Amino acid sequence: MRSEALKGHLDGLILATLADGPAHGYAIAQTLRERSDGAFDLPEGTLYPALHRLERAGLISSDWSVQAGRRRRTYQLTRAGGSSLRERRREWQLFATAVEAVLA
Amino acid sequence: MSWLSEFEAELTVRGIPLAPRERLVAELADHIACEPGASTAIALARLGVAREIAGQYADELAADDARRGAFAVFAALAAAAVALVVSQVTLGQRVGYPGFDHGFSAALALPAILMILIGPQVALVGGTLAAWRALRRRREAVLPAAEIALVRRRARIGLAAGIVTSIGLVLYTVDFIGVLPAWWLALSGTLAFAALVALAAARRTLARGALTVALAGGPPGDLFDDLTPLRRLRGHPLALCIGGALASGVVVTVGEWHAEHSFAEGLQRGAFEALALSIGFAALGRAIGARR
Repeated sequence: MRSEALKGHLDGLILATLADGPAHGYAIAQTLRERSDGAFDLPEGTLYPALHRLERAGLISSDWSVQAGRRRRTYQLTRAGGSSLRERRREWQLFATAVEAVLA
Repeated sequence: MSWLSEFEAELTVRGIPLAPRERLVAELADHIACEPGASTAIALARLGVAREIAGQYADELAADDARRGAFAVFAALAAAAVALVVSQVTLGQRVGYPGFDHGFSAALALPAILMILIGPQVALVGGTLAAWRALRRRREAVLPAAEIALVRRRARIGLAAGIVTSIGLVLYTVDFIGVLPAWWLALSGTLAFAALVALAAARRTLARGALTVALAGGPPGDLFDDLTPLRRLRGHPLALCIGGALASGVVVTVGEWHAEHSFAEGLQRGAFEALALSIGFAALGRAIGARR
């Protein structure tokens, strides 16, 4: 899938990934790739500006942790992030249903 | 040069402050380290172009900072407005306004009165337009660099006018030491000081945000994007200026006519208002996006 097409949905995809529990950047990238069967071909570096943007918006929070001797930043969904994700899912369902109705 | 070095250098060039810069580099170093050995090359390829990712981060941060700066300035200006209104209303209602030549020196009173009269109007226009544009564009991750510059300019104009107003209030208070009651002098001085502290804090927020270099392309937009009912005046700055001057002049004339029970007095003040607005438009119209 073209990265431009994905860009508009990246925030929602990140929030959905974090709904399963806290994760660091690499794990989020891996989850996105695995869940989409490799269809999401986004430069993984672009995840980090998005993560910082979501954190500035108060939708996720983060902390340093040490795992396997390495310092890494772990992100988790905030309450506002959970609400935002529910709203995005609802909007997506409406959009997808409408597109499906036209294209099918 | 390694991917990370190039990334960090690009962040530095774009003016990203040290703390987020170090954090981003550490996160990406961890990301790369997740695939050691031969896989590192694959991980680097998947990360994308260092310059583009740093640029995306800088453009998003610059947009966020410009919005935050505009809101901070607006909030500080609101505090300064409350300070001015409380000071002047208590003076008018509890004591009565002294003549401008009843204080320490008319040379102090006249500039102070002008600062108190004109400063708030410029602050209202600059601060409100900055905050309104920031509010309208709050959902955009990236804003054109020219638009960020416009928001920053408006906020700086509002902030400067707010500072001028608050200094004017200090001068006014000082000028009437010995004439006005001590309680009012203390109240007015404290309020002016509090307003200046709030404005200084907003200035700090605005200045810190201005360090990030935005390079995203696109038009800045103008006043008519913000105030759509005025759209038909786009490209006619003279008509906008004359219309604004006439409208404000009439409003002030009618208001002061009723307040002072003198049409001549009202007309004089209305004419002054119209003249001040015209001068303000000529001096600041381009900076706030009212004309090209």
